[in-house]
Amino acid sequence: MPPTGLEPARMNRKKGDKGFESPRPYKLTHQVVCINNINFQRKSVVGFVELTIFPTVANLNRIKLNSKQCRIYRVRINDLEAAFIYNDPTLEVCHNESKQRNLNYFSNAYAAAVSAVDPDAGNGELCIKVPSELWKHVDELKVLKIHINFSLDQPKGGLHFVVPSVEGSMAERGAHVFSCGYQNSTRFWFPCVDSYSELCTWKLEFTVDAAMVAVSNGDLVETVYTHDMRKKTFHYMLTIPTAASNISLAIGPFEILVDPYMHEVTHFCLPQLLPLLKHTTSYLHEVFEFYEEILTCRYPYSCFKTVFIDEAYVEVAAYASMSIFSTNLLHSAMIIDETPLTRRCLAQSLAQQFFGCFISRMSWSDEWVLKGISGYIYGLWMKKTFGVNEYRHWIKEELDKIVAYELKTGGVLLHPMFGGGKEKDNPASHLHFSIKHPHTLSWEYYTMFQCKAHLVMRLIENRISMEFMLQVFNKLLSLASTASSQKFQSHMWSQMLVSTSGFLKSISNVSGKDIQPLIKQWVDQSGVVKFYGSFAFNRKRNVLELEIKQDYTSPGTQKYVGPLKVTVQELDGSFNHTLQIEENSLKHDIPCHSKSRRNKKKKIPLMNGEEVDMDLSAMDADSPLLWIRIDPDMSVLRKVEFEQADFMWQYQLRYERDVVAQQESILALEKFPTPASRLALTDILEQEQCFYRVRMSACFCLAKIANSMVSTWTGPPAMKSLFTRMFCCKTCPNIVKTNNFMSFQSYFLQKTMPVAMALLRDVHNLCPKEVLTFILDLIKYNDNRKNKFSDNYYRAEMIDALANSVTPAVSVNNEVRTLDNLNPDVRLILEEITRFLNMEKLLPSYRHTITVSCLRAIRVLQKNGHVPSDPALFKSYAEYGHFVDIRIAALEAVVDYTKVDRSYEELQWLLNMIQNDPVPYVRHKILNMLTKNPPFTKNMESPLCNEALVDQLWKLMNSGTSHDWRLRCGAVDLYFTLFGLSRPSCLPLPELGLVLNLKEKKAVLNPTIIPEAIAGNQEAAINPSSHAQLVGFQNPFSNSQDEEEIDMDTVHDSQAFISHHLNMLERPSTPGLSKYRPASSRSALIPQHSSVCDGTPTTKPQWSMELARKGTGIHLGVFNLEGKEQSPLEMSMHPVATAPLSVFTKESASSKHSDHHHHHHHEHKKKKKKHKHKHKHKHKHDSKEKDKEPFTFSSPASGRSIRSPSLSD
Amino acid sequence: MADTAATAGAGGSGTRSGSKQSTNPADNYHLARRRTLQVVVSSLLTEAGFESAEKASVETLTEMLQSYISEIGRSAKSYCEHTARTQPTLSDIVVTLVEMGFNVDTLPAYAKRSQRMVITAPPVTNQPVTPKALTAGQNRPHPPHIPSHFPEFPDPHTYIKTPTYREPVSDYQVLREKAASQRRDVERALTRFMAKTGETQSLFKDDVSTFPLIAARPFTIPYLTALLPSELEMQQMEETDSSEQDEQTDTENLPLHISTVGPAFCLLHSTPKTHPCCPQPITLGSRHDLPRASGFVLGT
Repeated sequence: MPPTGLEPARMNRKKGDKGFESPRPYKLTHQVVCINNINFQRKSVVGFVELTIFPTVANLNRIKLNSKQCRIYRVRINDLEAAFIYNDPTLEVCHNESKQRNLNYFSNAYAAAVSAVDPDAGNGELCIKVPSELWKHVDELKVLKIHINFSLDQPKGGLHFVVPSVEGSMAERGAHVFSCGYQNSTRFWFPCVDSYSELCTWKLEFTVDAAMVAVSNGDLVETVYTHDMRKKTFHYMLTIPTAASNISLAIGPFEILVDPYMHEVTHFCLPQLLPLLKHTTSYLHEVFEFYEEILTCRYPYSCFKTVFIDEAYVEVAAYASMSIFSTNLLHSAMIIDETPLTRRCLAQSLAQQFFGCFISRMSWSDEWVLKGISGYIYGLWMKKTFGVNEYRHWIKEELDKIVAYELKTGGVLLHPMFGGGKEKDNPASHLHFSIKHPHTLSWEYYTMFQCKAHLVMRLIENRISMEFMLQVFNKLLSLASTASSQKFQSHMWSQMLVSTSGFLKSISNVSGKDIQPLIKQWVDQSGVVKFYGSFAFNRKRNVLELEIKQDYTSPGTQKYVGPLKVTVQELDGSFNHTLQIEENSLKHDIPCHSKSRRNKKKKIPLMNGEEVDMDLSAMDADSPLLWIRIDPDMSVLRKVEFEQADFMWQYQLRYERDVVAQQESILALEKFPTPASRLALTDILEQEQCFYRVRMSACFCLAKIANSMVSTWTGPPAMKSLFTRMFCCKTCPNIVKTNNFMSFQSYFLQKTMPVAMALLRDVHNLCPKEVLTFILDLIKYNDNRKNKFSDNYYRAEMIDALANSVTPAVSVNNEVRTLDNLNPDVRLILEEITRFLNMEKLLPSYRHTITVSCLRAIRVLQKNGHVPSDPALFKSYAEYGHFVDIRIAALEAVVDYTKVDRSYEELQWLLNMIQNDPVPYVRHKILNMLTKNPPFTKNMESPLCNEALVDQLWKLMNSGTSHDWRLRCGAVDLYFTLFGLSRPSCLPLPELGLVLNLKEKKAVLNPTIIPEAIAGNQEAAINPSSHAQLVGFQNPFSNSQDEEEIDMDTVHDSQAFISHHLNMLERPSTPGLSKYRPASSRSALIPQHSSVCDGTPTTKPQWSMELARKGTGIHLGVFNLEGKEQSPLEMSMHPVATAPLSVFTKESASSKHSDHHHHHHHEHKKKKKKHKHKHKHKHKHDSKEKDKEPFTFSSPASGRSIRSPSLSD
Repeated sequence: MADTAATAGAGGSGTRSGSKQSTNPADNYHLARRRTLQVVVSSLLTEAGFESAEKASVETLTEMLQSYISEIGRSAKSYCEHTARTQPTLSDIVVTLVEMGFNVDTLPAYAKRSQRMVITAPPVTNQPVTPKALTAGQNRPHPPHIPSHFPEFPDPHTYIKTPTYREPVSDYQVLREKAASQRRDVERALTRFMAKTGETQSLFKDDVSTFPLIAARPFTIPYLTALLPSELEMQQMEETDSSEQDEQTDTENLPLHISTVGPAFCLLHSTPKTHPCCPQPITLGSRHDLPRASGFVLGT
């Protein structure tokens, strides 16, 4: 038996070298999945699974598995009928329809529900009782075979059916089905241990229509016809131990293409798309070669399959030896823009084959390693394929993204450590969701998480060199492949799991370097660094005095201490300096090498050894400094705001060869609208050798500068003559040459320039007539007949340009927009749009790019008041049956309309679509767009914000989206954006005016009453008037108390079951479960999270004390009050607190409160100490309350048991 | 042709000359000839012993005689031409008569019979002159290698070409302009047509016709139309592949295509497949190619 099993579930222990310790009291070694019937008409699946497990503890009598939405008919263990219970608390997160409508409460309950079925904690929805006949067998730790018959009817998640409604058989219609989901979602379509850490070998059988093909993981052993010859059974065998979460399936009438370069690779696509498939995948073998070469390791599986399907959940999904792609990635040789994107998707999925599928992870907190490595090697592939410029540009882009996100939300934590006993607080208390489980994570957060992971890998590479890095990967892979070949030693398989500690150990073994500080900074801690830099040149000392400040107090930031590279370009050359950033040193003196007196005619050496002539007349005669760059290699996750003179930015733009530096200087030059900036930008635009993306962003910068300089601008509109010179005919400059997109750089430039030009405005803030005519001419004379490539993207961008040229209509006292008062320019634009949109119906363009642009342009016209605002057109394009890009563009317009016109009807329409649309991606996207462009936010008065909407959204996230993790988290995001963490302000006022914050130990106004309170930490003062009007509500209200108490007593059956069960499993010490232990206190399922509050403590103890004294019999409540710093003065305006206070308690053990508190706010220790006695005072009270009402979190568990025999005894 | 009202003897004349006294020389000639023939017939009848004859019979016999003589002439001419001559000889006549079943040997005896009547020679009338065709210019004399007996050259206007073509539009700007507006017109007309005949959507509530948008219709399999290149694009691609787009820096020198209606044209009819020639750009590369013809050739 695997030694690991002797001490099961010890999941939160620090994983040392001893390897992986399973949270389960058994080891799964093999699983059979057999789906013997798939009905496309009814969208149903019937089959069975058989799991072979070895108990690792003697008295195993309950086996927990994951299964969602499956109907389970029968369970047998070693051919004996077994009783089972099926209970899924995530179906409905909070029941007892309480009046709770605050997100804090929901998020905690949701996290608890997810934990209750989390396989990594040894839990599951399906609990099987081992028949008593087998107990002896189990005690001998002998093998058990669990056979489960199940069916699936109209699955809402996990498996997605696409059945076009046309004539013909299912195969002729192109009907297909595939597995999908976010993270471990295999439980949606068959019972399994849905964990990335439970590996086993697989036998997969699918019986399908003879005209269909079933694609799954591993090797296709055989296909057998049924005796009536109408069906076929595909037998797949996966001998490499694989987690259930990496099992996938796609069935459809696929066309099959064996890769001409690698015969073990097979591609599948939907009927009629074979030519596209051929072209699209023709590149894949190079990606293979690249990865195999850098990893010095062969692709681990014996075969690889790519399947391109419609209505994809995500563009790329990687599973063991198989990747599922969106069919929309397919393209023909004529398409330029899609090609690099698709190749990137292919490369990404392939990188995940190595790290993510073959090598899996031990726990969720190790996810960053996998995402980091796969993202990192994908980056190396990018560098090799698209060049260093593209790579650096991409890194910069990713860095900007993560920095912006962290500053916005307060941080992304790569390696969250939970429940180490002491650290009770949520490591991500700034977020409105728990980061303890992938399934509670906002999608955006997860995307950013992946982004940060690969950036951190790059930082590690910077530290230990790429060579060592690759050696580490190779080591991981070779360990794993040795382990995977151990057919009968399943305990070895844990070598295929990567953990943070194992990875770090590997690094230190290979490189001998200590990267602990780096890990501590970026992995164990969230936040990015914000630098502010400025400098002065000391002429006497010939020294550059550099000042670097940091902001480490705003949310999402952290303090950086350590080396920082600064590059100074002087007249005599470029010099690198490494500064030590320390706690208190702001100023750094950097000696200069050159004298300011310059030799004429001397060339200036650059960093890359190149020597160039420069016109030095612009620079300061006293200083030898050309430009300065802070952290040029992006070796810190940071944002740098650096101040240097405009001419320095201009030099940097012209002469620095690094694309990132050029990009930065372009950004900086926006603030210097001078002729010199103009010249520098135009020069860059014209320079053929310059990276095309830099040139593209120079276009937009130039437009901005031109607008700032509008009164002094001379000559034709910016970029016009440039465009004419580059792309128009020599003899007739108003006519563009016939299209020839052979040179992609100029293609991209040609596309972008008009879009940027359309942003130009004249003194009246209108787009100059000349520019509009110019763009209309480009459209008119566009001629693609001799072009090898399609011009659909080009034409789409021309429409974007038209849309950009639109300025708000001059409205005469709000008249109704009709055709008669249409501006003549707009009429021309509208004519083009009409023609383009209509032509699309006859000659559709690739991915309907033109329709998409037209729809956006129409929305722009509506928004600017030229065309009556009306969502009807968009709604018709948003219907199911249009191409997904069109739908998303149309929905975006509807979302925008909903916001601008505050339309309740459209909002309802959107919400309805979120619940009922057949395409999961569209549902997700609507939520996403609503979150990004919300109809109102939590601090806003809006007629849309009403109780019905709150209920609706609450229902949506509580139970309406249980079939799709991503969707549910999207609903949570939207709820947060609309209402914030606390009770939505539009609800009828709750009973209580004041609440106690257990954690903060202070009393505050019930945030319900102060909706703005949540708003920002900065908003210290609250508008007194808003209080005034609410005073009246703070009347005593004791019902709530009773209500809550009733909640306490009705412990839900499922919950009882779970806690009961947890107790049973606990026999040996079960660290992972320890927190659930106190079943006696009925709080079995209460999660560890403490409040999401991290508001800085304020000087308000007086008040809380007062309150505490008064409040005999008050309920304690925890509300998140990020920095609700009501001044005592203000508070005293409402001496209300005699009322029983709300509402629900959080489980935080009261005894720990003060430590906790101090831990949290050590900066304020002193202040706090003063008031300690007051806290204590409250504590007493606290604990009293605790007893009385230990369990306010009404059960997160719900769901129904299909059969519940004998377990409840 | 026969005129029943013709008087016997000298008075017989055709309809043409019947009522009005024709001054036409050709008519006179014919009249004189016919009168002579009538005299001959009458004398033969007299010789055969008839005392009188009905006018109709005389006319009929005259017709027969005339036909007979004409046939001899025609046939003789054929024989003569058969032997590559232009003037019939006696032998031609003889062969003709033999061919017509006439015993030539009896002819001399018959000519010398005693009771024959001698008829006065018909009055000499002028051969009718064929009116001269309109001549333009001088007929060309034969070149020396052509024997002079060969027919003359026809009038110069029948064979001399007088090239009168319009200068083709070769100005780049105009061509582009034309191509662009032509395409735009066709597209506009086409989309308007589609909009008129189908469902539409409008951006303005008060006006549905100025900017008619063809209504959005969902597809059953939307990705197919979105991803697959249209037939037109496929063709274009094949074409550009075959005539590998070369590095052109100056488009002015490009062979220009003038047929801009191609794509839309196809749509108006049916699928491009049945009109493979339509979208083919017709090159103006060589000046004398007629657009239509070259389009045809390319298409097949």
